[in-house]
Amino acid sequence: MGMLAATGRAICLLGIGFGLGFSINAFHPRGVHLRSYAAPVACTAAPGGSTAQAGAAALPPVEVLSLAQVASLCGDPRVLVADARSAAAFAEGHVTGAIHLPCASSRLTANAALDALAGKETLVVYGEGTADALPVAEEMRRRADRPGGVRVAVLAGGFSAWSRAGQACSSGPCADCSAVSVHR
Amino acid sequence: MRRRLPLLIRAALGLLLAVAGALKLADPSAFATEIANYQLLPAVAPYLAAALPALELVLGVALLIAPRPWRRSAAALALGLFVAFAGAVGSAYFRGINISCGCFGTGGDAITGLTLVRNLVLVAAAALLLVGEGDSQNFTSLKSARNDPGAS
Repeated sequence: MGMLAATGRAICLLGIGFGLGFSINAFHPRGVHLRSYAAPVACTAAPGGSTAQAGAAALPPVEVLSLAQVASLCGDPRVLVADARSAAAFAEGHVTGAIHLPCASSRLTANAALDALAGKETLVVYGEGTADALPVAEEMRRRADRPGGVRVAVLAGGFSAWSRAGQACSSGPCADCSAVSVHR
Repeated sequence: MRRRLPLLIRAALGLLLAVAGALKLADPSAFATEIANYQLLPAVAPYLAAALPALELVLGVALLIAPRPWRRSAAALALGLFVAFAGAVGSAYFRGINISCGCFGTGGDAITGLTLVRNLVLVAAAALLLVGEGDSQNFTSLKSARNDPGAS
């Protein structure tokens, strides 16, 4: 009997807590949208996001590197290259050794990219062009903010320019893409 | 001092829950992000973000001012909450996910071994409180029984 009453009281407390919580949330100016809520992805705090803007001033800007500059970095163990394009485009061909890090990738993927960035000094992000790589680069710059810093850059002209120029590091479809991709 | 221990634990846990709940209530959207960052149950993150802060607040207030039978139920629920929190924090810690705890709303410190230990201490404290708030036994009676085995 005592246990039953205790259970009843516990259910009552749960009901009060949940009821109060959902009621407050419904009228809260920063209440969470229950049905349309989307879990954060890699570019949650991309330019335009409050978090990115808050921290952006203290961080060095994202650089835009030319084809020649990026080509000179290829093969350097201190450099990580990230491909911000779609999975299909990445599978079709990418800079050798690049990890796959599209803007819509999950936070888990972004964390895996951060792990891959450990011990590196430079991150080069490329997209199809220059602009589509910037949100990913900005986000990674914010996340990789650490003592000593990481130089974050985007490839001018993106993979299309890289491919057209026939740069040495450019690979076509390759069998071991999955080995270098952290996309999940 | 020992007689006051149950009261101290109850006051500390009650205050902790009430403050943590109130801080999280300030920004449910940000708290939803903190929950989603754990990568455990992203689909229920918004519902937890809406419900948990108020539940913590209610349990905290109940522990502080409610009559003993209600306090016992609140202690049982608080124990469940702390076990769940410790599980989530432990999961993030052992998976090596670099996220903030979200224990007191947003902007907290990153999860470390110390965060996990703190949560386990809270689990132990809540378990102790649940025993102490028992209808037939409390800290004092347990202590008396230990000191005087002949006492009924």
